[in-house]
Amino acid sequence: MQKEAAIREPLILGHKTYHDVTEDVCRPIEDKAPKMWYILFGIALVIGLYGVGSILYLLGTGIGVWGLNKTIGWAWDITNFVWWVGIGHAGTLISAVLLLFRQKWRMAINRSAEAMTIFAVFMAGTFPLIHMGRLWVGYWVMPIPNQFGSLWVNFNSPLLWDVFAISTYLSVSLVFWYIGLIPDFATIRDRAKKPLAKKMYGILSFGWSGRAKHWNRFELVSLVLAGLATPLVFSVHSIVSFDFATSVIPGWHTTIFPPYFVAGAVFSGFAMVQTLLLIMRKAMGLEAYIHTKHVEYMNIVIMVTGSIVGTAYITELFISWYSGVEYESYAFINRATGPYWWAYWSMMTCNVISPQLMWIRRLRRSLLFTFFISIVVNIGMWFERYVIIVTSIHRDYVPAAWSMHFPSHIDIAVYIGTIGLFFVFFLLFARYFPVLALNEVKTILKGSGQSYKESPDYHKHH
Amino acid sequence: MEMSKKYWKGIDELKQTPEFIKHKDQEFPNQQSVEDFLADENLAESSTARRDFLKFLGFSVAAATLAACEAPVTKVVPYAVKPENVTPGMPTWYASTYYDGSSYASIMVKTREGRPIFIKGNKDFGFTKGGTNPQIIASVLGLYDSARLTQPLYKGSKTTWGAVDDGIKEALKNAGKVTLLSNTVISPSIKRAIAEMAAQFNGEGESKFEHIQYDAISYAGMREANLLNFGARIIPSYDFSKAKTIVSVGADFLSTWLLPTEFAVQYGATRNPEGEWMSKHFQFESVLSVTGSNADVRSMIKPSEEAAVLAYMIKAVQGKAATGGSWKAAADKAVAALKKSKKSSLVVAGSNHIGVQQLANELNNILGAYGSTIDLSNTIELHQSEDAKALKLAANVAAGKGPDVLIMMGVNPVYSLPNGAAFAKGLKSIKTSVAISSFEDETASNCTYVCPDHHQLENWTDHQAKAGEYAIGQPTIRPLHNTASALESLLVWNGAANRGGQDSAVAYDYIKATFAAMNPTGDFNYLTHNSCTTLPVVPAVLTFTAAAVKDLPKSADTEVVFYQKAAIGNGQFANNPWLQEMPDPVTKVTWDNYITMNPVEMEGKYATTYDQEHGLNLATVTVNGKSVTLPVYPLPGQAPKTIGIALGYGRGANGENIGKAAFQTKEYGGHAQTEDGKLTPIGANVFGMLSTGATLLYSAAAKVTDANGTYPIAATQIHHTVMGRDSIVRETTLSIFKEREKDAYNEAHKLQKLDKHGKHVEAPVSEFDLWAAHPVEKIGHRWGISIDLSSCIGCGSCLIACQSENNVPVVGKDEVRRGREMHWLRIDRYFASDEEAAVGTKADKETFSYDAAEIPALNPSVVHMPLMCHHCNHAPCETVCPVAATTHSNEGLNQMAYNRCIGTRYCANNCPYKVRRFNWFNYPSYKKFTEVNPAQDDLGRMVLNPDVTVRTRGVMEKCSLCVQRIQATKLVAKKEARVIADGEFATACSDACPTNAIVVGDWNDLKSMIREKSEGVRAYQALEEVGVKPNVWYQVKVRNEDNSLLDHIQVAEQAHH
Repeated sequence: MQKEAAIREPLILGHKTYHDVTEDVCRPIEDKAPKMWYILFGIALVIGLYGVGSILYLLGTGIGVWGLNKTIGWAWDITNFVWWVGIGHAGTLISAVLLLFRQKWRMAINRSAEAMTIFAVFMAGTFPLIHMGRLWVGYWVMPIPNQFGSLWVNFNSPLLWDVFAISTYLSVSLVFWYIGLIPDFATIRDRAKKPLAKKMYGILSFGWSGRAKHWNRFELVSLVLAGLATPLVFSVHSIVSFDFATSVIPGWHTTIFPPYFVAGAVFSGFAMVQTLLLIMRKAMGLEAYIHTKHVEYMNIVIMVTGSIVGTAYITELFISWYSGVEYESYAFINRATGPYWWAYWSMMTCNVISPQLMWIRRLRRSLLFTFFISIVVNIGMWFERYVIIVTSIHRDYVPAAWSMHFPSHIDIAVYIGTIGLFFVFFLLFARYFPVLALNEVKTILKGSGQSYKESPDYHKHH
Repeated sequence: MEMSKKYWKGIDELKQTPEFIKHKDQEFPNQQSVEDFLADENLAESSTARRDFLKFLGFSVAAATLAACEAPVTKVVPYAVKPENVTPGMPTWYASTYYDGSSYASIMVKTREGRPIFIKGNKDFGFTKGGTNPQIIASVLGLYDSARLTQPLYKGSKTTWGAVDDGIKEALKNAGKVTLLSNTVISPSIKRAIAEMAAQFNGEGESKFEHIQYDAISYAGMREANLLNFGARIIPSYDFSKAKTIVSVGADFLSTWLLPTEFAVQYGATRNPEGEWMSKHFQFESVLSVTGSNADVRSMIKPSEEAAVLAYMIKAVQGKAATGGSWKAAADKAVAALKKSKKSSLVVAGSNHIGVQQLANELNNILGAYGSTIDLSNTIELHQSEDAKALKLAANVAAGKGPDVLIMMGVNPVYSLPNGAAFAKGLKSIKTSVAISSFEDETASNCTYVCPDHHQLENWTDHQAKAGEYAIGQPTIRPLHNTASALESLLVWNGAANRGGQDSAVAYDYIKATFAAMNPTGDFNYLTHNSCTTLPVVPAVLTFTAAAVKDLPKSADTEVVFYQKAAIGNGQFANNPWLQEMPDPVTKVTWDNYITMNPVEMEGKYATTYDQEHGLNLATVTVNGKSVTLPVYPLPGQAPKTIGIALGYGRGANGENIGKAAFQTKEYGGHAQTEDGKLTPIGANVFGMLSTGATLLYSAAAKVTDANGTYPIAATQIHHTVMGRDSIVRETTLSIFKEREKDAYNEAHKLQKLDKHGKHVEAPVSEFDLWAAHPVEKIGHRWGISIDLSSCIGCGSCLIACQSENNVPVVGKDEVRRGREMHWLRIDRYFASDEEAAVGTKADKETFSYDAAEIPALNPSVVHMPLMCHHCNHAPCETVCPVAATTHSNEGLNQMAYNRCIGTRYCANNCPYKVRRFNWFNYPSYKKFTEVNPAQDDLGRMVLNPDVTVRTRGVMEKCSLCVQRIQATKLVAKKEARVIADGEFATACSDACPTNAIVVGDWNDLKSMIREKSEGVRAYQALEEVGVKPNVWYQVKVRNEDNSLLDHIQVAEQAHH
C-alpha cells in the first residue's frame, strides 16, 4: 500500500468505509434519477437535436449556409474542432500521464475526465466531417484499396495526419476508459436487482470476477495503455497544430505551435473538467472524494499550462516583430489592433491574466472562483482558436482579397448543438455509469482517507 | 502518324482458311439463332412450379423497381448525316462584326456543334484590331436569354408575321405621317432600305416619312461642335497610338466613350515603357473612371469646370496669361507636355455640351492635332443621335401629337428618355406603334406591334462604322425563334420583299447587293471570310473656323455626373447576369448603381467602409425636381462637391419581361417583389434626370439629402489599398525606369543565408528551397503567364472572357456580398494611400502607419492587377490536400481533379493569392440561383463550353490556365507533326485583352514571348519571397509622371544596395 506523509491533505474526506465508497458511487445509478436530471437531459437533448437538424440542413444544402467566404475557408467549423479536441485532452492526460507519475489524486476524477474526453472527441470529430464539401466521399481520406485506379491519399497533407491522429487517440482513449470501467461495472452488476440491469451490466463487465489474476491483468493493461496513451496526449494536438504550422499563412506558419497547442489543450481540458466536476460533486454527493485539494491540484495545472500559453502568445508577438517579415508582423498587429481586436483581447484576458490569479492560494481553493475561471478559460480558449484561424486568413498576403467573417445562424446552431449533444452524452454517462473509479478509489482509502490518516495507528502500521 | 500497319485477329485470318471465311461475318461463331432455340421441342415440356413462379415474379418486381430508380434518361441527338464543316468536338470559328448601337468591334465567334459559345476580338481584320469590351464578349449569353421574344406580338399577344406585316402595311398605306425612330444606323443596307422607304412615302415633295436617329447616350454635342467649326456634322477618327500627350477632359475613352474598342488598343500601344516613347496621359474628371484610373496625372474637377480647364489650356498653350482653379497645377503640367508634343497631342472631351466640344476642337487645332492624331476624313459613323429632333418627337408624342405610325428600331425611349413616362403614355394614343425589339421591354410593351429582331449571332448584317471600312456580320446559328431581321421587316413593309421565314435569304441577298454596289470589284466570299474590307476614303477638305462658344455650363454648389459603368453601359444588357456580376473596374461593386462621393466629404455623415454585414447609407439626390434614393459609395478621387450616378440601371421598373437576371432576388431564391407585387428592378434609373439643352446633358446641379436606412452592397473587394506591401504591386516612374538599373525599381527579394565560412550573406530567393526541385527547365512544355501592369487598363474583358470560356457560375448579389463570387480571374484594384509614395511603396518606413495606410488618398493613383491561379511550381495548395485532388502537371500546371475533391478548403486557405473558389452550393440546380445562373436555364445552358466541366457543389475550382485550350493546341500541332508555335496557344483572358497586357506561352520555348517577358527588367513575381515559385510574372507598372518622392526613395534604395 502507498505510503503517504501524514501532513499531506487526505484525498478522501470523512469516515468512509469500503462499503461507503461502493454505496456513494452506485446509489445514484440504482436510485431513480432526480427530477433535475430529466430537466437537464431534456434541455440538452433539445439543443442537441437542433444542432443535428442544422447539420442535416448543412449537408442537404451546402457549406454556403455557414458564413465562410472565398478568403475565409475555415472559421467556426475548425475553431470548434480544435476547441473540442483541446477539451478532450485532459482525460487522457489525467489517466495516463498522472498514472505514470503515480498521482493518486487523479483517481477521483479520471473516470469522468475520460468520459468527457471521449465525448469531446466525438464532438470534435463531427466538425472535420461536416466541414467537407462532399461528406459522402469523405472516406477517400482513408488509405483503403480502391477501384478508382491507383488513387491514394496524400501523405504530405496534415489533414491526413489529423485523420490518423484523431482516430488513434479516440480508440486508445475509448479502450483505456473501458478497461477502467470493467471492475466497476462488475460491482454494479453484483448489486443490480432488476434483471435487465443485471444483464446489461453483466455484458458490460465482460465476466469480471475480481480474482487476483484479473486484477493483475487489469493493472498490467492499464499500465501498457497508459504508456501508449501518453505520447498520444502530445501527438494529437501537435498534429492538429500542424494543420496550421505547415501552411504558408502568416499567423499559422509557426514552429512554436505544437507545444503551444498541447499546453493550451491541457489548459482548456482541465478547465472543462473543473466545470463539470464542480457541478457533479454537488449533484451526486461526491464532496468527500472530489474536494478542495483536488480542485487545487487542477488549478495548479491550469496555472502552469496557462503560463505556458501566455508565454507562447508573447513569444509569438515578439518573433513577429523580430522576424522583420512584413506579413508576419502585420498579422500580429492586425490581431491586436485590427477589426478583430476584441477577439484577441478577450483571448489575452481569459487565457493570460485569469490563470495567473491562481497564484493566490485563497482563490485557487475557492470553488466558486474556480468554477468562474473554468468558464472564462474555456471562452478564452475558444477565442484563441478563432483568433488563430480567422484573424490570420481574413487578412493575409493580398489586401484585395481581405475579408471579414460573420457567422450565420447555422454556424451558431451547429456549435451550440454540439454542446447540447455533449451534455446528452455526459448526462447519460452520469446516470448509468460509475462516475468515480470506485475500485481504484478503494485502493487509496487507507492510504489517503481522512479517518485513517487521523487514526493513531496510521503510522504504526506503515 | 503512320497508320499503315495491318493487324490480324489470328493466324486464320492471315491465312484466310475456309473455316474463317465461312464465319467471317458472324460476330459469335456457333451461335444458335433464337428461332432454333424456340423451336426446341423439349422446351414445352419444362414446367414452372408455383415456387419458381413466385421467385420469378419476385425477381421481376424487384428488377423493375430497381430499374425505375435510375436517373432520368437524357437524350442525345446524334448527327444522322454529318454536316459539312462540323466535326463534333472541333470548334468552328466565324469572322463577324458586333454592333449594338453603341459598341462596335470586329469579332471572332466560336461555335461548337452549331452553337456559338465564345466571342473574341478579331486581331487580324478590322480597324478595332482585336479590341473588345465586356459587353461584346458577354453578348453571346444574350442569344440564349429565355426572355427573348419567340414570335411577333400584336397588342401584347402572340401573332404571326403574316398578320403583323398585313397590319403594318395597311397602317402605313393610310398614314399621314410616319416616323422611324432608330438608334444610330451604320448599316449601309438598312440605310438603303430606309432611303427607299422615304422615297416611296415622300414621293411628291411631301414629308410624310421621317427618320430620326436617337441614342440613349448621345454624342450630338461633338457633331454640332464640328458643324460649327468645320461645317460638317461629323465625328473624326482619333488615333491615340500617335498621341504622345493625351489630355482627356471627362472622356472615359478606354471604357465607355465613343469607340473604346479601338481606343484601348491604340492607347495600350503607347503605354510600353520599353518602346521609343511612352504617352503622357492627363485626365480631368469628376468621377474616377477606368480611363482616369490609368492616367499619369489626374485632376479632380467639377463638370462645370470642363470648359474652364480647356479655355485655360487654350490660352496657356499660346503663352497667354490665364487664371486657373484648383486644377491649375495639373493643367500647367498638361500645357507643358502639350507644348512639347505639339501635333502629336490629342485632346478629347467627354461632355455632350456643344461649347465644351468647341473648346476641345480649338485646342486640338492650335496644337495641330488635325491631320496628325485626328483624321477628319475617315470619320466615325457611330453615334449619330439627333438630340433636338428626338426630343421634339418625344415632346410631341408625350403631348399626344405623335405621328400616325411610329416605328422604333433598336431603341428603348420609354426607358432612356428624360420624359420616358410621359412618352409611354403618349405612345398609347398613337394609332400604330411598332417596336423592332428582342424583348417586350419598357417601350415594346406599350406598342401595338412588337417585331422581334434576330440576335446578332443569328443575323446577316453589314456595317460601316468608319467611312473607310465595310464590315459584315454573319449568322453563326440558325435563328432559335420565329424572329426576323430588322432589315427584312423594313423591306417587307416597304413592299420590296416577301417574308422568307426562318431560313430567309432576304437580308443576305439585299446586303450582297449593297456590297456589290459599294464595292463592284469586291468578292463577297472573301468578305465573309475576313468580315470586313476597306473602302476608299475621300480626303476631307475641312478647315477649322472659330465659332462663338455659347451657353457654357453653369456651376452649382453640388453637381452630379451621370456616367456609364463598364459592364452595364446604357442599360441594354441589364438582363445579362455575367455583366451584372462583373465588378465595376473602379469600385468593384456588382449588381447595383449608387451615388459616388469622395469619402473625405462623407466623413461623419455616411459610412465610408462596408463589408458583408455593414451596408452603405442611403441618400436622396434631387435633380430638376426629380429624386432618387440610392446608397452613397465612398469613391476616392471623386471631385469634391460632385457626385456621380451610373446610368443603365432600374430596367424593367414596371416588371416588363426583359430577363430573369434584370431583377433583384431574395436571400433564399426567387425574385424580390415590391409592395404592389411587381418585380424589383436593380438600382435606379436616372435617365429621367438628364437635362435637355440643345443636346442631352449628362451633368446637372443636384441636391443631396440624407435618407434613412442602409443598403447592403455586394463588392468583390472591400479593402482598397495595398498597405505599402512592395512585393505585390511594383511601380516606378518613367524617368527612373529609363535612367536607373533594375535594382532601383524592381529589386529581387533577398534572404540571409550562411556561406561556407559561416558568415551571413544575402542571396536571392531562388536559392532557397524546402523541396527537391521539380524539374522545370528544358523538360517539355512549361506554361506561363506574363501580365503587364503598365498596359493593363482594368477594363474587365478578361474576366468576362474567362467566365464565358470556363463555365464560371453566376452567384447573384447576395452571394457576392458574402464574398463568394466565383470568378477565376479577378482584377484587384489598389488605391494609393497618403502613407505611400506610389501603390506599394512606403513613403517613410519609419513613420508608416497601418491604420492610415488603409485609407485611400483624396485623389489616389490607381493600379489594376489581374490575378488568377499562379500555377506555382511549389504550390502550397497541392501539399495540403488530403486526397491529392490538386496536383502538378508535368507542364507546370496546377490542376484540379473535381471528381476527387472532397472539399476541405484547406487548399484555398493555404493559397497566398487567394484565387481558389469553392462551390458553396450546387449552383447549377439550387433554387437560390435559378434567376441568376444561366446554367439553370434550358436555353441559357446552351452557352456552356462543352470542353469544360460544370462543377458540382462541395468542390474547389480555380483557373486551369485554359487547359482545354492547351490540349486542343497540342493536338493540332501533333496532327501536323510539328512543335507548337509561340502565340498559337492563348487563354481566354489573353485572347480578350485589348491592350495585350496578358501574354501566355511555353516558358521552355526559349524564343517565346513569355520567356522574353519573364527575363525582362520589369519582370517580377508577386509574393516571390513566399517561395512558391509561380508561373506568373508581372511587369512593373511604369507611370509617366513626376513623382519626386518615389524617385527619391528608389534612388536611395538603389544606393543602399
